[in-house]
Amino acid sequence: MKTEYFKEQLYTLLEFTEIINSTLDINDLMNIVMDKAKSELEAEACSILFYNDKTNKLEFEIAICNNQDTCETLKKKISIELGQGIAGWTALNKEPLYIEDVRNDKRFYSDADKITGFITKSIIAVPLIGRRGLIGVAEIINPERTNYDKDIFVALCKQFAIAIENALLYKESLERERLKHELEIASSIQKSFLPDRPVFTKKDFFIKAVNIPAYMIGGDLYDFVDLSNDKVDFIIGDISGKGISAALYMAKLISDFRHISVLNNSVTATIAHMNNIVNNAPMGMFITAIYMSCNVSKGHIEYINAGHLPFLKIGVDGVVNVIDEISGPPLGVMEYEYQPLTIELQKGEALLLITDGVIDATGMEGKHFGFNRLLDFVKKHHSSDRLLELLIEDINVYSRGFQRNDDITILELRRL
Amino acid sequence: MEIKIEDQKNIRILSAMGEVDMHTSPELRKHLLKAVKDKIPIVIVDLKEVSYIDSSGIATLVEALKGMMKYKGSLKLCSLSERVKEIFSFAKLDKVFEIYKDLQDATIG
Repeated sequence: MKTEYFKEQLYTLLEFTEIINSTLDINDLMNIVMDKAKSELEAEACSILFYNDKTNKLEFEIAICNNQDTCETLKKKISIELGQGIAGWTALNKEPLYIEDVRNDKRFYSDADKITGFITKSIIAVPLIGRRGLIGVAEIINPERTNYDKDIFVALCKQFAIAIENALLYKESLERERLKHELEIASSIQKSFLPDRPVFTKKDFFIKAVNIPAYMIGGDLYDFVDLSNDKVDFIIGDISGKGISAALYMAKLISDFRHISVLNNSVTATIAHMNNIVNNAPMGMFITAIYMSCNVSKGHIEYINAGHLPFLKIGVDGVVNVIDEISGPPLGVMEYEYQPLTIELQKGEALLLITDGVIDATGMEGKHFGFNRLLDFVKKHHSSDRLLELLIEDINVYSRGFQRNDDITILELRRL
Repeated sequence: MEIKIEDQKNIRILSAMGEVDMHTSPELRKHLLKAVKDKIPIVIVDLKEVSYIDSSGIATLVEALKGMMKYKGSLKLCSLSERVKEIFSFAKLDKVFEIYKDLQDATIG
């Protein structure tokens, strides 16, 4: 008789192990296993509560019983504090409980029954503990069968907990993959908003740009607009914040800039129009930007620096000047009358405009690349026709092994 | 980042501690928007214990400033560290915000 009993237990164990290993789908796994446990123990209901470490509460993830309304009410309306009720006690103490008559147990939390109308008589509650700690609690309610082996039951629950954890990890990894794929698509869409080619030439003006988002998508922007025989406008900017919101707004602003720069015939009108648009941006978003309008025949440039970093002027002789005049605050902060500034570019001279990802690139001991290192670098390589590429290489060497937090955009304007 | 809240007559003081960046600024935003919703006449953000503020942190302040301007409220910043002061003055944001030397100046100013 004893042999028969152990044989039966062993079969049950094997059957459960097979079910546990049969799927990585978290919902299938929990439903199949709990349904099986419910029928094996001839129980009226069963449930799994997950531990939410943000609220420090247990919430119903799975509830199986004959009344669908009861199950839905449990999932939507009831959460349990750690230490509260049988499930809360089990989670807090990480020990199983077998309560044959809940009326005799002070730990029993009767509010769930009051809300659902269900009558709980007996409970088996087992903590589900994975490698990362408490996952939750599994409960079997009103089991008819009581002649089960508690050790085997606990062993099964341990296996079940690990299977749940694996399924959760699998779900997370699928989600990460999906997100990565979505970001790759977003990244290629965002790149399509930038000029088709990062190089632009008009008469003896030569413009080259590089844009490297810190993550797959970024909030930096640049653009060139070919306006008339002698005129080319361009912009370099950095939208506040990072990630999807900045990237989306970047896409909108580039479209707006192309339209507005054609629509308006002066630097002040264009920038006022842009400022007006960004002023209505959500969540206080703003953009630091330099907008330049160049007469390519005369080398005369009118520009606005709206709260953006200084730029460099590289002379024919290699003398590098920092142009740090600012026209006003970033676009989108307030109504403001930006006054244009001017600069002349002689043949052989160049301008180098950057976003703060260049100087904020972090290297050893958390030190930033900095403006001085940029200056020294430009002085050394000012005549190279690969200035941008060399600068990017230098930044990469400087920050190798360190997480880049900010997008990098560099724009080189040369009068050949 | 931690935020300490203190209410005085017509004034709410939000004292932030730590770095205000894209991860922490939502917490500051929550308190600032609450103050805007409650139409608090004067909100002082004490940045004495703030070592760094990034553009998303500044955007949070800009959003609050715009929200407060609608009901003619006043947003004041005080006790900026040298690093934070540089960030503000460089981008001409010191012309946008009311900036005070310390909490006492902000309270009476």
